[in-house]
Amino acid sequence: MFSRKKNSQASVSSDMANKQKRYEVLVLALHNDIFRYACWLVKNKTVAEDIVQETFLRAWKSLDSLKDEKAAKSWLITILRRENARRFERKRFDLVDIDDVSVIDDQLSNEVEIEHRELRAIMASLSEEYREPLMLQIIFGYSGDEIAQQLNLNKNTVMTRLFRARNQVKEALDKTNDNWGRTNG
Amino acid sequence: MDELEFRRTLYADPNCTDDVVLAAIADDPKKQEFYKELKQLNKKMQNASQVKVPDDFVHKLIMRQTMQSHKSNKTRHSIQLAMAASVAFVVGMSFTMWQQSNLLDLSKQAIAHVHYEGGYALDAQENFSLQQVNAKLAQFGGEFTEELGHVYYANFCDFEKVRSLHMVMQGENGKVSVFVIPHDDTHNARNSASGKGYKSQAIDVKGASIVVVGEEDANVQKMKEQLKRKIRFSA
Repeated sequence: MFSRKKNSQASVSSDMANKQKRYEVLVLALHNDIFRYACWLVKNKTVAEDIVQETFLRAWKSLDSLKDEKAAKSWLITILRRENARRFERKRFDLVDIDDVSVIDDQLSNEVEIEHRELRAIMASLSEEYREPLMLQIIFGYSGDEIAQQLNLNKNTVMTRLFRARNQVKEALDKTNDNWGRTNG
Repeated sequence: MDELEFRRTLYADPNCTDDVVLAAIADDPKKQEFYKELKQLNKKMQNASQVKVPDDFVHKLIMRQTMQSHKSNKTRHSIQLAMAASVAFVVGMSFTMWQQSNLLDLSKQAIAHVHYEGGYALDAQENFSLQQVNAKLAQFGGEFTEELGHVYYANFCDFEKVRSLHMVMQGENGKVSVFVIPHDDTHNARNSASGKGYKSQAIDVKGASIVVVGEEDANVQKMKEQLKRKIRFSA
């Protein structure tokens, strides 16, 4: 009786070790991109950290339901988006709306830094429906089809939004460049 | 593919690998320029999107889950351990108590013996010599090394299934009964008792227990010490 119990316990703990291993691989491979995506989604680093932690906690709990490691990325994004939506359910009036994304720090050379800051402000100012597909494309390298699947949208809609997103970025950039030229000249 | 569609397609995906688009780029230097610019912008956007991830973040993510799974494991183990410990504790305690309650209290038993026996031994008026007493005590491997005074009675008796030497001697204030009882695991000779007009004290010496029973005014303590001094066991 005792030896049988011991065996089953041993296999439980080896299952546990396997799960732990799988989880760690998942975290190491994807936490950077997931965190960045969360940052762009909520535009606040602290909130993004919280959401990503929640996301990985949920991922850990239901890791058994992830059959194919290749699907891990979109699985995590789905969890993340759900967590983000949950945040709005919980705190309807506590919306974070930081447009300048000043929380994003970097140690680049000044010129590049200014350019990046500008670009970040512009990307952050895009409305969510444009920002989200754009970031899926930029951060995860998703194709139009993959974005459509992830966001549960029609592909044409996705392509239109991507076009408009870049168009807005370009226009905003041209505008600031004009301003620069005008103020400098 | 007209100009607008071309721009739309590339704006939507600067890394587009559509043959028609690629062919259009190859054919037109202006389109090539546009394509290059757009690629550059995309690269910049990509760089700008690389938010710095906190250094300890990955550890936070891993540690938190590890701790959670360990915590649930640990609570289960500690509950099992606590249950095993408390079962062991109860078993140990009850065994000890059961054993103690089963120990035969020699001093009490001796009083009961004397009381039950009545005058059979106490009324004896013989005079045993030291040799005679020692001859009996030799059965237990012991002897008295000094005179004991007047010994009215000395014989074997059954002391709760243990064969013992029962003597009646002259004490300071009247007769006292003395039992020499070979050691037994179930005996407890470390106390005194009183009742039914008697009092008694027991003591362990090497090889046997000695119990002295006297009437309430008798100095059993003194008699006990004397006997302890006088008795010797060879083994």
